[in-house]
Amino acid sequence: MPSTTPTARADFALGGTLGAAHSAFTLGFRRNLANWPVLMGRALFYLVAMAVLTALWDKVSSQRLAGTLASSLPQGGLALYVGVTEWITLSVASIHLRLEDDIRLGMLEPHLLRPKPYLLQKIAEAMGDSAARLLGLGAAALLALAMSGRALPPAIAFLYIAILGPIGTALGVLIYAGVGLAAFWVRRVLPPYIIVQKIWFLLGGLFAPISLYPAWFFGIAIVSPFAASIFMPGNMMIAPSLAGFAEALIAQLTWLVLLAGLVALIWRAGLRKVLREGV
Amino acid sequence: MIATYRANIAIAIRTSLMDRTNFILNSAGMVLNDIFFLILWYMFFAGFKQVGGWGLHDVARLLGIIMLVVAISGVFFGGYRDMAATILRGEIDALLTQPKAILPRLLARESIATAWGDLVMGIWMLITFGGLGWSDIPAVLLALVCGTIIYVASAVAYASLAFWFTGARSFARDLTDFMLLFSSYPGSIYSGMTKVIAYSLLPAGFIVLTPVAFLRDPSGAGFAIIAASAGTYAVLAAVAFHLGMRRYRRGLVSTG
Repeated sequence: MPSTTPTARADFALGGTLGAAHSAFTLGFRRNLANWPVLMGRALFYLVAMAVLTALWDKVSSQRLAGTLASSLPQGGLALYVGVTEWITLSVASIHLRLEDDIRLGMLEPHLLRPKPYLLQKIAEAMGDSAARLLGLGAAALLALAMSGRALPPAIAFLYIAILGPIGTALGVLIYAGVGLAAFWVRRVLPPYIIVQKIWFLLGGLFAPISLYPAWFFGIAIVSPFAASIFMPGNMMIAPSLAGFAEALIAQLTWLVLLAGLVALIWRAGLRKVLREGV
Repeated sequence: MIATYRANIAIAIRTSLMDRTNFILNSAGMVLNDIFFLILWYMFFAGFKQVGGWGLHDVARLLGIIMLVVAISGVFFGGYRDMAATILRGEIDALLTQPKAILPRLLARESIATAWGDLVMGIWMLITFGGLGWSDIPAVLLALVCGTIIYVASAVAYASLAFWFTGARSFARDLTDFMLLFSSYPGSIYSGMTKVIAYSLLPAGFIVLTPVAFLRDPSGAGFAIIAASAGTYAVLAAVAFHLGMRRYRRGLVSTG
């Protein structure tokens, strides 16, 4: 006689786990859309940030000072590049805060008794949240681009970005998940969050492509997950090519696997600590 | 009123310092955050030299001033950050029954630990990269006093929107963030509509851009502009808060 019901067996199967993750993804996606005023506010922030950064790069481009990197800037400036990098970074859900709350407030324990893996559920939910942000901010970006009258890159660039952008955002979610799990060891994750975020901005080339930085710096940044997350998709706006796209896709997928493994390791170490010492 | 504010803010500061580890982590995190910001700009100017006449010195001064303005506001008027939420949660009710002024007590509700990191970095940045000397201290102090007044006054005006709109909690914070964003870039990049915004709705122009110009070339006119704008924004904030409180007392604000 079977010891578990068919439903319970399904719960433990891989399909059941993935099904639950899909449900969590849908939940995160729909919740974000339902909270549309916040999404609108985020889109507004994106547009304001773009207004400032576009003004900066347009000024630099228009000067074209001799003996500076201005001569190596693309003809249309860096507005489109920054548009993509900001789109990705602002779309990453704040999973670190949710993990911090659950870990600090002792809300983790009830989840551990359930058959679905807690961390996967949280990451899937954050991915859904991020997907809704990508859609909302993407719509705002395309609208602003159409109204700006700027020269558009080749249509294929948009296809590349439509693929690399969401994967770059997923990398961001995993990076912030790692930060959130720091709550097992530190009371507040704000300090590690601030540090990781700024390293991400710097090595990822949020404000300026890392290809403009000195060679030694570029060499370090390009092999980091941060560059795979935002520089590589953004670069498709400057120099779209199939080879560049394939290279970026391979780098992103590699980092996706590596970061997922790293997050799983941190989770296990943290869980061991909680089970041994409590919160 | 000042004695009550002093007592309240002293308690808030002591509370923020109570958890030593957390305080050190938060402050150190902000210091690192500011260092990364400086590195970003350093690398930018290493490649592009200047933007519209602004070089690394000018941007370091701008960053130093905005860091100090945010630091002073955070340490001594930290309640500004969540004031809209405080209004919408109905927490003013408890203050209404007491004889002391409400606004100073709301501002003194919290002291933000991360602001100490900004304080250290702001001073360091002005001395090192900003290239300022002892003779610049009066101008810097004027810039900081006026900049802090405008920054806090604007935040209070944004938070006062909560007296009219329930969705003002995140919107007020967003506006404060926009103001900071505008305050972190060289003034020379703004033109047309962005310049109008920078000198009105999100007054980065008066918080840092005019003070940086004043530090570069101190003049009576510059002094008058900075002082007058500080007075104007303070009055605007006081009026917005006062009108909002009238609505609140009449029970026209939905709280809870």
